[in-house]
Amino acid sequence: MSVEERIRVPPATPVGGTRRHHRYGERPGIAYLFLTPWVIGVLLLTLGPMLASLYLSFTDYDLFTSPEWVGLENYERMFTEDPRFLASVWVTLKYVLMSVPLKLAAALAVALLLHRASRMTGLYRSAFYAPSLLGASVAVALVWRVVFDNGGPIDRAFGTGGWTTDPRYALLSIVLLAVWQFGAPMVIFLAGLKQIPTQLYDAAAIDGAGWWRSFRSVTVPMLSPVILFNLVLETIHAFQAFTSAFIVSSGRGGPSDSTLFYTLYLYQKGFVDFRMGYASAMAWVLLLVIAAVTALLFRVSRGYVYYAGGDS
Amino acid sequence: MRPIARWAAAAVALVALVGSTAACGDDSGDGPVTLRFTWWGNADRAELTEKALDAFEAEHTDIKVETSYAEFNAYWQKMATEIAGGSAPDVLQMDYRYVREYADRNVLAEFGGSTRVDTSKFSQSLIKGGTVGGKVYAIPMGQNTQEFTWDPAAWQAAGATPPADGWTWNDLETAAGKVSASTGNKVRGVVDFGMIEDWFEVWLRQQGKALYTDDGKLAYTAADVQKYWEFTDRLRRSGAATQADVTSKVDGSQANDPVTQKTAASGFGYDSGFTPKTWEIMGREMKLAPFPTSGGDLGQYAKPSMLISVAKRSKHPKEAAQLIDFLLNDKEVGTILGTSRGMPVNSEIRDAIGAALTGPPKVAYEFEKQILPKLKDAPPPPPKGSGAVKAAFQRVYDDVMFQRSSIPAAAEKFMNEAKQALAA
Repeated sequence: MSVEERIRVPPATPVGGTRRHHRYGERPGIAYLFLTPWVIGVLLLTLGPMLASLYLSFTDYDLFTSPEWVGLENYERMFTEDPRFLASVWVTLKYVLMSVPLKLAAALAVALLLHRASRMTGLYRSAFYAPSLLGASVAVALVWRVVFDNGGPIDRAFGTGGWTTDPRYALLSIVLLAVWQFGAPMVIFLAGLKQIPTQLYDAAAIDGAGWWRSFRSVTVPMLSPVILFNLVLETIHAFQAFTSAFIVSSGRGGPSDSTLFYTLYLYQKGFVDFRMGYASAMAWVLLLVIAAVTALLFRVSRGYVYYAGGDS
Repeated sequence: MRPIARWAAAAVALVALVGSTAACGDDSGDGPVTLRFTWWGNADRAELTEKALDAFEAEHTDIKVETSYAEFNAYWQKMATEIAGGSAPDVLQMDYRYVREYADRNVLAEFGGSTRVDTSKFSQSLIKGGTVGGKVYAIPMGQNTQEFTWDPAAWQAAGATPPADGWTWNDLETAAGKVSASTGNKVRGVVDFGMIEDWFEVWLRQQGKALYTDDGKLAYTAADVQKYWEFTDRLRRSGAATQADVTSKVDGSQANDPVTQKTAASGFGYDSGFTPKTWEIMGREMKLAPFPTSGGDLGQYAKPSMLISVAKRSKHPKEAAQLIDFLLNDKEVGTILGTSRGMPVNSEIRDAIGAALTGPPKVAYEFEKQILPKLKDAPPPPPKGSGAVKAAFQRVYDDVMFQRSSIPAAAEKFMNEAKQALAA
């Protein structure tokens, strides 16, 4: 059910994007043969369960007994009589709005530095990328919990108190964890930067542009398709964030529901309260929201994204 | 971040697959039988359980027992998924709180006939804790009761009056305040107990009330919750009880308990789970006392500390019952397990091991023996949805201790959530 696979993303190569069309016209059978494992996976592990969850979202299902049809009741209850649902929406929105811009800014900043560096770039690139490899890892979240705990290293060094156990800062500590894992968008930014023709910078320099001016007038416009790509991807990921909040709050979304991510509440409804029907309905609402937000991002992008491809 | 939606989808598919294949296998022949037995507890209990199972396998060479265990909360989350997926264990440790929930949902096998377990030496009032609609779905593995664990050294250093029979909630407030003051608030007198529904229950029973009516409705009002929280809130504000960020780490595990972490000198608990290593884990010797009262009833009751059930879908119910009978009635195993799951329910084993106990189990045993005459019968198993109510009690109390809402508003919020959880 991951959305990004079904969203058409523009090519990440802004300049000189040459399209080659491979033709399997003569023996299409072979192509399908090689596709089979993937097709089976999609049908059995993605499409089938998705349809099942769509059906379950209209039922009352407690995991043990057969589902019972209740129509739109689950969807109605969400918005009318479930304050925790609304709380989880609010927490998730805050998380998306904080973590995505910060993460992209960090990724772009480091990408710019690495792009200029001449020695040992490979080493630095790997070092900055490493945290994202551990992205969904339970181990990192556990480390985070210890580091930001009361009596943990951060508390002892700066006297900040426990962040993960304080409802004012618990979400912030999870945002930091996300920002720290900026490696994936950074690598994509780096690739984008390498595609920008150097003569544009030369021309800008001759016209008297300083660093900031050429960043604003050359780098950002030329990089804009890549920025959009990263923005869409990271937004979708942020809406689906789960592991970090689950681990840091021991699955409770606490303290005081301050880290109750949408997906975490969905999990609690399904696997703790045994309300699978309600949880399925929540999953579909999330899917629709992510689709709408993505559509909005593309719509807004028309104003700032510059596609150079096709005319070089 | 891994997309959770995809993960959940895969889980559902897997569930469907496993469900359809589970029905195909049939090995009811005479070959060796493998039983799966799951339970909750800590590494300490695991060691003793493995020893007991070795003894069982030595006697029943045709039966093999595979085990796995988890901490309480994780155990129940896993259990729901496993059962829904048709891969339920044969024998499962059951909690008093979930007996009715699981029996009502048709997950547990009824005891009797080929699944007979000898309960002739058990206290009959305890058996009721596993009985739903007149049928036995779970058999108690141990008996326990609520207790107050306290650190005598800390009490003495603070010059506080030790807890004794008939002590009051005000005595607790005074003593805990003294302990906190004597350590400069580094070690608090008592773990904040406002978030645990179990201790709220004792407090209710002391006033002749209860958590649930016989037909499974809430038997208290928002005013009761408010009064209880006002008391615990006062203790936290005065420094007698643990501060909010310490309390919010309490998750039911021994490792994360403020008493174990030495940020508090006392706390409420159950008198099961005391093993020979408990003092070592806590880093000091503790004592046990009954609950404080308001001068009237004690409110405590003899509770099945944990029960044991056979899954309805088990293909080896007979062997599963044999295992349960062995664990509960064999003298040698009784000695191995000791009081790690609470006082043994078999009265002969209880008397037999009592004399040989040393260390923490001895302390728990003496406490239980002394308090037994004052204990009332356990209330009937709580209704479906009560697990969610207990969770809500702790969650909403977060709002109180972090001062995110007023106590009357929090009590009202909790009542609404509790009613919703029980409604379905």
